[in-house]
Amino acid sequence: MSSPKRMHPIAALLNILQHLKELFIPILLLLFFGNRGESEGMLYLIAVGVGLVLFLVSGFLSWYRFTYRVEENELRIEHGLLVRKKRYIPFERIQSLDVSEGILQRPFGLVKVKVETAAGSGNGEAEAVLTAIKKAEANAIHDLIVSAKRGSNPNEVEAFPDESVIYKMTMPDLLLLASTSGGVGVILSANLAIVFQFEEFIPYERVFQEMEQFISNGIMFISFVVFLGFFFVWLLAVIGTMLKYANFTLRKVEDDFIITRGLFEKRQFTIPLKRIQAIRISENIVRQPLGMATVYVESAGGSSSNEESSKVLFLPIIKRHNITQLLEPYLEDYEWNSKLSPAPPQALVRYLIRGALVSLPVIVVMVYLFQIWGLLSLGLLAVTSLWAYLQFKAAGWSLEQNMVTLRYRLIIKNTVYMRKNNVQSLSVKQSLFQKKKRLATVEAVVKSGQGGSGGKVLDLHEKDIAIIYNWYSRENSTVRME
Amino acid sequence: MFPEPQTRISQRALVVWRISGSISTLFVFLIGGGFITLGILFNWPLMIMVAIGIFMLVYAWLAVFFLPMMRWKRWRYEVREQEIELQRGVFIIKRTLIPMVRVQHVDTQQGPLLRKYGLSTVMISTAATVHEIPALEGVEAERLRQSISRLARVADEDV
Repeated sequence: MSSPKRMHPIAALLNILQHLKELFIPILLLLFFGNRGESEGMLYLIAVGVGLVLFLVSGFLSWYRFTYRVEENELRIEHGLLVRKKRYIPFERIQSLDVSEGILQRPFGLVKVKVETAAGSGNGEAEAVLTAIKKAEANAIHDLIVSAKRGSNPNEVEAFPDESVIYKMTMPDLLLLASTSGGVGVILSANLAIVFQFEEFIPYERVFQEMEQFISNGIMFISFVVFLGFFFVWLLAVIGTMLKYANFTLRKVEDDFIITRGLFEKRQFTIPLKRIQAIRISENIVRQPLGMATVYVESAGGSSSNEESSKVLFLPIIKRHNITQLLEPYLEDYEWNSKLSPAPPQALVRYLIRGALVSLPVIVVMVYLFQIWGLLSLGLLAVTSLWAYLQFKAAGWSLEQNMVTLRYRLIIKNTVYMRKNNVQSLSVKQSLFQKKKRLATVEAVVKSGQGGSGGKVLDLHEKDIAIIYNWYSRENSTVRME
Repeated sequence: MFPEPQTRISQRALVVWRISGSISTLFVFLIGGGFITLGILFNWPLMIMVAIGIFMLVYAWLAVFFLPMMRWKRWRYEVREQEIELQRGVFIIKRTLIPMVRVQHVDTQQGPLLRKYGLSTVMISTAATVHEIPALEGVEAERLRQSISRLARVADEDV
């Protein structure tokens, strides 16, 4: 493993393609707008041709110069055409290897390996990327890293690592996942908007009498086209999701969770158990009535702008009541069965007022603009009140010895399980209005990627808030309660 | 809700906040004065000008007197062996606990206005959040920075 190696030549091609993609628009501009007069046109073509050749050569050379090797428990990469760069990454610093298989890599049995360290390089890129290496090689590097981290001899890697499949996506699940994702919200709201528009501009009774005229006006036709447009977008989203999450598998190998997914482009994520900061169960509006939920884990580290490495989709779609049973054996530090206490009844009023604050301005404007027909927008008040009520019902908390669970809803209902040691800071807030009703707000922040995430529950009873606050305080909290 | 943290921030913070409040008031008066001039030129209803005038006065009172006072009264902190506790806010009172083991580093920072009054702001960073104690006296800020980094170093648990 110690002699310097080059990547598979395909890497050179991928490199060139990548650069071409970035330069696609400038080249187009050059070709189309630079073309003035015959002789000059020739010149431009030659310039572009020379540029392309230079490109190919430099792509090839940079592949030629790029070598990697494993030496003294470090991954050592040397590259650069004019300026020669060396990057040595100690194995202990490597947090995860993100392995993916692109369309070009696949026929050759190659993979792309992204090496992630804790230091986000600032611009959100992985510390090192090996664009195309043999699968066996990637596995070898992975094994070396694992054994180096454990501080043992690489030869002593267990022949049969302790591996178990936690979850494997089935076809019906995949369909359900794709069809109930955010896209549905778009299409539903589009439909609602159309219906609402009918109600506001043309009351239905009159519409039916004047149907023919109505159609000739073309409004129906246009809205139908708009509907079709949304439907088409939604369909694309569904297909996209299905391609992305096909063959989703969650495995646990020793102390790491490994996720593989994708149909054309296979991706693999590794989440070390130690880096998990919180577990989040999300139930969106469409999935909740079906008893389905989505599980995410918040994980520390990963490159800064990479959303996927901080909030990782853990179980894409699963029956709510199966989650405990499924995850309990693998996440032993978390208590899944603790009972959540709700927000006190006096909080409901505040939730309703907050909801009304959203809809009332709209209603006032509607009544002002459409007079009596504007009153139809009172329906909006009913919607926001229902929404506020659901938020109130969702609010909840529970404490265990070393864990806090917060449940809240913005639009999606979230239940966040956090271990005390993972909570970076805890805040409580109380406004004058809240104080009158003996309510307060609690917020716990955990590390997620390079930033923070966590849970925030509005309007719990201040007695409960005090319990949570004292639980988090590390200094003789019982005395401070009095 | 429960007992307040004990330490107050420097009383000179009040002066600094009043000065920055006065600066923002100056801008509000410039804009408000502009509107009133327009009103006189174009004969706007008197009510509008009175409203603008009242708004300006209320703003000045809030920014120069009321808010700095309340803010200073409310601002408390306590650095204990194992945690830091902060309390702040005027209408919404916010309390925060930061365990020492979660503190990554501590910075002090000083703008021109703060420097003139010998004050510093202390910023405490955890892996996910940044918390700030405004306007401590220079020596106090330095002492705090050192004691927090000492205490934070002693404790080590996993992230």
